[in-house]
Parts: sequence; structure tokens; C-alpha cells
Amino acid sequence: MAEERAREFLDPDALARLMHLPLVSRFAMEGNVTGQHKSPHRGSSVEFAEYRGYVPGDDLRRLDWRVLGRTDRFYIKEFEADTNLRLHVVIDASASMGFAGKGESKFAYARRIAGSLAYLAAGQGDAVGLFCPNGKRQLELPAKRNPAHLSTLYDVLEDTVPEGETNIIGALHDMAEKVRRRALIVVISDFFCPIDELASCLQHLRFQKHDLAIFRLLDPMETDFEFDRPMRFQDLESPFSLVTEPALIRDLYLEEINKHRAALRSACLEFNVDFREVVTDQIAEKYLADFLTERAHANP
Amino acid sequence: MTFLQPYILWGLPLILIPVIIHLINRMRHRPQPWAAMMFLIAATRASTNRARLKQWLVLAFRMLAVAALISFLARPLGGGWLGWAVNAAPDVIMIVLDRSASMETKLPGQTITRREQALKMIAEAADKFSETSHLVLLDSATKQAQQLASASALQEDSLTGPTDTAADLPALLQIAHKWLVDNSAGTTEIWIASDLQQSNWQPEDDRWEQLGAQFEDMLQPVRFRLLAFNADGGLNRTVSLAELNRPVKSPQQVQLDLSLAATKPSDQKFPLRLKVGDAESRSEVVIDAASLLHQQQLEVPAKAPLPWGAATLPADSNERDNDVYFVAEKTGMAGALIVSDEPGKMVFARLAAMSPGEKKPAEAITPGDFGQFDLSNVALIVWQTSLPADIARLESFIRDGGAVVFLPPGADKELAFQGSSFGESFAAEESSFTISKWNEQDGPLAATEEGLTLPVKRLQTLRRRDIDTSDTVLATYDDGKPFLTRGNIGRGTYYYLATLPLSDWSNLNRGEVLVPMFQRMLKIGARRIGKETLIACGELSAADRTLLWTPVDTDEYRNILLHAGIYRAGDRLVAVNRPSGEDEVGAIDPEEVATLFGELPLQFSEQRTVEESALQGEVWRLFLLGMLAFLIIESWLVLPPSSDELRLKGTRLATAGGAE
Repeated sequence: MAEERAREFLDPDALARLMHLPLVSRFAMEGNVTGQHKSPHRGSSVEFAEYRGYVPGDDLRRLDWRVLGRTDRFYIKEFEADTNLRLHVVIDASASMGFAGKGESKFAYARRIAGSLAYLAAGQGDAVGLFCPNGKRQLELPAKRNPAHLSTLYDVLEDTVPEGETNIIGALHDMAEKVRRRALIVVISDFFCPIDELASCLQHLRFQKHDLAIFRLLDPMETDFEFDRPMRFQDLESPFSLVTEPALIRDLYLEEINKHRAALRSACLEFNVDFREVVTDQIAEKYLADFLTERAHANP
Repeated sequence: MTFLQPYILWGLPLILIPVIIHLINRMRHRPQPWAAMMFLIAATRASTNRARLKQWLVLAFRMLAVAALISFLARPLGGGWLGWAVNAAPDVIMIVLDRSASMETKLPGQTITRREQALKMIAEAADKFSETSHLVLLDSATKQAQQLASASALQEDSLTGPTDTAADLPALLQIAHKWLVDNSAGTTEIWIASDLQQSNWQPEDDRWEQLGAQFEDMLQPVRFRLLAFNADGGLNRTVSLAELNRPVKSPQQVQLDLSLAATKPSDQKFPLRLKVGDAESRSEVVIDAASLLHQQQLEVPAKAPLPWGAATLPADSNERDNDVYFVAEKTGMAGALIVSDEPGKMVFARLAAMSPGEKKPAEAITPGDFGQFDLSNVALIVWQTSLPADIARLESFIRDGGAVVFLPPGADKELAFQGSSFGESFAAEESSFTISKWNEQDGPLAATEEGLTLPVKRLQTLRRRDIDTSDTVLATYDDGKPFLTRGNIGRGTYYYLATLPLSDWSNLNRGEVLVPMFQRMLKIGARRIGKETLIACGELSAADRTLLWTPVDTDEYRNILLHAGIYRAGDRLVAVNRPSGEDEVGAIDPEEVATLFGELPLQFSEQRTVEESALQGEVWRLFLLGMLAFLIIESWLVLPPSSDELRLKGTRLATAGGAE
């Protein structure tokens, strides 16, 4: 970690508590070095996989001499390959993520989750990359394993300001095209976009055999919508504003947002996406611990 | 509706306060940056008309609550016959009370009369205004406007008691107008209580038009409220005197022609009590038609000190029209005088103007003798010559109540009197002039009391002189030229007749028109000789008003101007009866009343029975309750859903969008 910057979005105590939980993938990953994660290929780990018959060209060092001694047949002993993981963190950096109710903004919260996950992944030797799409540009850091890279990633996280219109759909499609090798992709956004378009992104990413996890961030003010007087609602992503009496439309608003939440949940279920809904007045550590624990239990 | 503290109504614009607060609130809305705009837009789009309607309703109920509060503070009066139109308490309330005899008719099924009920209602309504308005009473009997100290004074008999007079509504309103102008009254309400009797209201009268203009021209606003008691009062019989004769030859006999009328004619017999002097008699009568003439011959007792009497019917719904009084004095010696250049020719005129008492033809003299002739017993002068130098004598004769009829003084002599004159002489060339139109209601050519028309159509005029006049024309020829005109000076009357009762002028000398015409003129002129013994109540002449009249038929004091009866002043005896118009049953309808008042603001209230709800009261409770009701409805509309409901909804929403 770079000492010259404070990295306020990281909580050392929380990270220390989370360190004992491994960040694991739900599916086999294609890494380039040895790591803690299952690989679709055979390798040289201690985990026995299977026997197969010798064919000319095979490495004689992997010949099972004991079987040859007993049966006079040539068998090659194969082992599971353990590889490292590529973690791609996608943070929606559109202006809507800058919304802050009574506490910190959704983007700040997203930064906290992304930073922690990056730290944990780097800590276990995995490569970490970063995508920060917003309406104006799309900032990308490829996944790398070296600690200096983590520092760069934190710098980017710290320097990014949420602005412009939401472009998460386009960014995810781009990503599906660019990241060809299996990876763990964590998307952190408020997903204020049409669900059917988002569903096609999820399908696209899953088609590339990525392990996809979603953190959906919502501010408590957005979920409760409790105002006691007429308000002028100013859109964060456009100059549009709307004057209304919140008490009169509260029911309809809640109905609309809950419909959207339910639709996103069912889309994630459909494409086997690890879905987490995060309300930003809760402690991020809790969500991270749940995320890591459930994954660890799913892959004993 | 009337308000006791109307200035508080200036606060009515305060009902805009809720709207202003609403607008300020809308302007003061806090800006809120918002991310989840897509849901907000969808929710606003789906925001139903119901929500908007609810918002309008809330605003409307807030405004109504403020309006009710202001109205309540202004102390509204309402609910009575005064109605609900919004007004401030007027400066002056002028109560125009019909005290005519017909107002003594009892209300259907009640013992209270129209006048008593009217007074009760007006007193109760006026009592509320005793602090804010001047109360002025103008009654039909005295025709004097007088200010009242309090509304309770309305119940005093001396001011508002029953009378036998008639009412002249146009005249009363003229007096009211004059009083308001003279006293520079401010905002005024004129409350009229009447039974809408046709003869009292005289809807044909020209004065109504003038009244409309006069009241409209007034600077201060005047409103009229009419409390009408025009409901049928049940069975009522009336008796009035049609004719009284005391033949000279048999002075102990009195011939009475009584006119009897009933609202519900029937075959039922009822007693008619008759009294002459101390002698009383009864006879049974039946009124089986709307009205009939009952002839009765009475003997005046020889010892009767005073020759007066009365006829009385049994009690019915109006006790004021059951009596008729008469004085059976000997028929006077009123006679006629013919003044002509050729008195010998005026034979038919002398016969036609025969004195009914003396039964001898009228005296005829030449103009030269007129100056010396004793006019003390003369009631009618037939003048058929140029005017004398001493015209003042003729004028004063008329002013005293005498009648003069001017006949053409030959074919070319001038005769001009009071702006009227005889013009050119015309002789009929082929056929004679006939009379096409004449006044059958009034004047010397009127139909008889039995309704028989005089044979005026049979009159044929061979020669006539035009009458240049602006006086009332009583009869006209086919070509529209006047046959008979009438003018008045002082108490008396003068007539112009276009032709002469001579065979070369007309067939007037046949007498069938001339006799009744001259006899009627004679009767009219008899007023001059002071032999008038039958007086309509309230119509006593100015000269007679100066006399001290004492009632003869009762020991109690009674005012001759207000009550029927027999009165004496010195050795003169008069019988005072209800004016004939009071016995008429016709009432004008509300539409006609509205026409009479024209553009003037009039509130009409018909009272058919005694109703408690007709009485007026302060209605502030109603407004207070209204305000509370509006506030309760308003709070119910803005009430947030109950906590249980919220919890339930929250659960449902959480299920829809929450964790699995």
C-alpha cells in the first residue's frame, strides 16, 4: 500500500478481521500463475485428479512408477491445477452514484467495498483490475498481481469523481468483450437503468464464463422516500427538475422502485449472478463478510 | 340574510389565505438532488386525478372554513321571512303596515288576524335590528311616518290597532319616499305587510311608474320586503249600504238597499240584525250568490231621538266587515238651477234636473239674475250661456262642492272656463253623430249598481260643439270628439256637454240618458249643501276634520278617522262605513306585484299559515357548525394513513422488493 496517501476508504481493523476469509470464486478460473483457485486445467498441485495411459511425449517424471512396477503398464498420474484469480471490480461512476442522503455518498460506499475487495484479493496473490465507467469516460486498469498495482488502483479510486450519465450497460458489454479469460467480476452500482437491458449484459458476461457478483447500492432516503413538504427534485445526471408533493406520490414511488428491485433480483437469479443489495447506512464490513463467507462455504 | 356586524364581512378576502399559503409553500419547496429520478417520474406520471382532486378539495374546505368563520363573526340573521339574501343591517327600517279592514281577516284555522300575525313577525324580526337600525312605522290609516323607540311599540293598539279604513299602497309608498328624502335616510329597507287586496294596491294606477322612477333615483339603496297575507281566509260575509231612501211623504219609513256578499255562497240561512234608533229587528237572509242586493224597509220609531241605525251580520272570519251604519236623515232639499239666455227653451233640462226632495222642476233664470240668486240650496247649475262678469261666484260654488254642467251657449257664442272651451259648431250632414265610447265605471254615465248600462248608444246628435279641453273625457263620439268631459276645482266638479237637450240638437230630451245624468250630477253637487251623511272611513273632508266628532252608538271613545260607526258633531250626524273597496275579495298575484316594483329590489314572502320556521333568528350556530364540519373534513382529507395501515403497506412493499 502506498504510504503517501491516507486511503480513508479503507478500514484497517475491518480488513484485519476479513483477512482470514478467503476470496474464492464459485467457478474454475483461468489464471497464469499458481494460486488458490481451481483451474479448468490439470496441474501440479497436491490434489490427485486421475490416471491416464502414457502416450509418447508425456513427461516421464509424472509416470507412476509404482503402478509400472506392479502391473508393468505405463500410467501417468494427473493432479488438479491451482491457479490464481483475476478480480475485475466495476464501479459505476455516474453522477447518480454521487447521491448522498444523510450519510456518505453511494460512490464513497462503493469505493469502500472495491478497495477492501482489491486488498483482500491482492493479499491472497490474485490479480486485481478496475473499471470506472461514467458518462464521460471509461477508466480501466487491467488486472495485475504486483503490490504497486494495488497502489495505482487505490489512487484511481481516490481520484475518481462521480459525474455524467449512467453508462453501466455499455461498460458491461465492453467488458464482456475485452476480458476473455475467466474472471471474477464484481459490479458495484445503483443500477438505475432499464432491467431488460441490464439483463442482457449479465447474460453476456455469464456467457464468457465469468463469475459475476453484483452489489446494488441504495441510499435509505431512496428506499423510504419520506418527505413532509413539497420538494424540487433535481436530477443528478441532467438539468431536469421536478416539483412535487412527495406525500401524494410516495406510494406510487415505492411501488415503482420495489418493482425495479424485484426485477433485478430475478434477473440475477436467472443468470446465476451473486446478487447483494446494500443499503448505504449499514456497515460495509457486514456485507463483505457475508459475501466472503457464503462463497467460502459454497466452495469448501 | 342580514348581518348585525356587516363590517366584519370586509374580512371575506381572507378566504384567500389558504390559497396564498399554498402558493407560498409551492414556491418555498426545498431543492433536493435526486438520483432515483426514473421512479419519481414514473410515480408522478401515474399520480391520478384523484390525488389532484383531493388537493383541490382540501383547499376548498380550508377556504370554506375561513368564510364560515368570518360569516359567524358578522352575526348573521336568517331563516325567517327576511330570507337569506346577503345584506348589511340597514340604517332605516320603514315598516309600511296595511291596517285596512281586510287585514282583520283571520288566518286559516287560526284565531289570529292577518294584521296581528304580520305585527308579530315584523316585531320579532325588527327586534334584532333595534341596536343597528332606526325603526319607522308608516301605517295605512294615519299615513304618518313615526319613529319607534323599540320594536315592541309595534304591538301597541294605538299605533297599529285594527281600523275600518282602506289602504292606498301607492300613496303610502309616496309618503315613504318623501320621508326618506326629507330625512336624508341612509340605506333603507321598506318592509310592507299587506294582504295584496286589489283595491288597496291599485295596480292600474299611474303612480306606480312614478314610484319606480323615484326610488331608483334615490342615492341611497332601498330594498323592499313584502310580507303578503293573501291566503283565503275561509267563510266571510260582508254587508254594505247600496242605497238609502227616506221618502219625504212618509218620513217614518226608511228604505235600505243592502249589498250582501259571501266568499262561499250557500243556501244556509243566517240572521241579519237591524237597528234603527232603539228598535231592533231580525230577519233571516240567504246569500246564495257571490253578492246580492237585499231590500229592507224599516220603520223609524216616532220617539227615536236620532234617526240612525245599523245592520249587523253574525261573526265570521273577518269581524270588521259585518256591520254597516246609516243615518236616516230626511232627504235634503238640494235643487238645480238652469242659467240660460232662453230659459223657456230648457224645459227638458229643468225636468231632468228635478229636485228629488221637492219633486218640482229645476228653476231656470237668465244670466242677469244669477248675481242675485240664492244658491244656498243649489247643488247643480246647468249653464247654457256665456260666462258672467262675476265668474268668481260660479268658481266658489264649485270649490264648495257644487256641480256645474256647461251646455253649448247656442251655435256661436263663446264659453271658456278653466282652460276648457266650446269650439266650432257642427251639424250632422247625412246621419246623426252617435256615441261610441263612454266610461261605464265612473261618472254620470256609469252603469247602474245593478249593472244595467245607460242607453247612451241610442243618443243621436244632430248638432254639437267641439269641446277643447285637457280634462277627463267621459264619453266620445264615433269620430273621437268628446261628448262629455269632467274637471275638478276644490271639492266640486264641472262638466262640459257637447250638445243640447233640444230637438234640433239631439234626442237628449227623451230623458233616458239626460235624467240619470243630471240626477247623478245633482247627487255629486249635494256635497256642497253639507247634507253628506254617509262617509267612507278615513275619507272625512278637511273641513269636517276640524269638527269635534263623538261616537253616538257607543259610550267608548272612537276615532272617526279610523273606525266605522255613527258620529255626531253639534247637530250633524254622520254614518261612517268601510270604504267599498275593502269588501272586494280580489287580490293581486305575486307576478303582478313583481311587475309593479319593476327593477326595484323586492323580496316577496307569502304567509299562508302561522309557521314557527317563518320566524327569524340569529343563525351563527349554523356557521360555527359549518366551520367545524369543514375543518373536520379537511383534516380527514389530509390525514396520513394510520400506522397499522402503514405497517401493512410497508410489509407488502418490503415483500415486493426486499430480501429473499
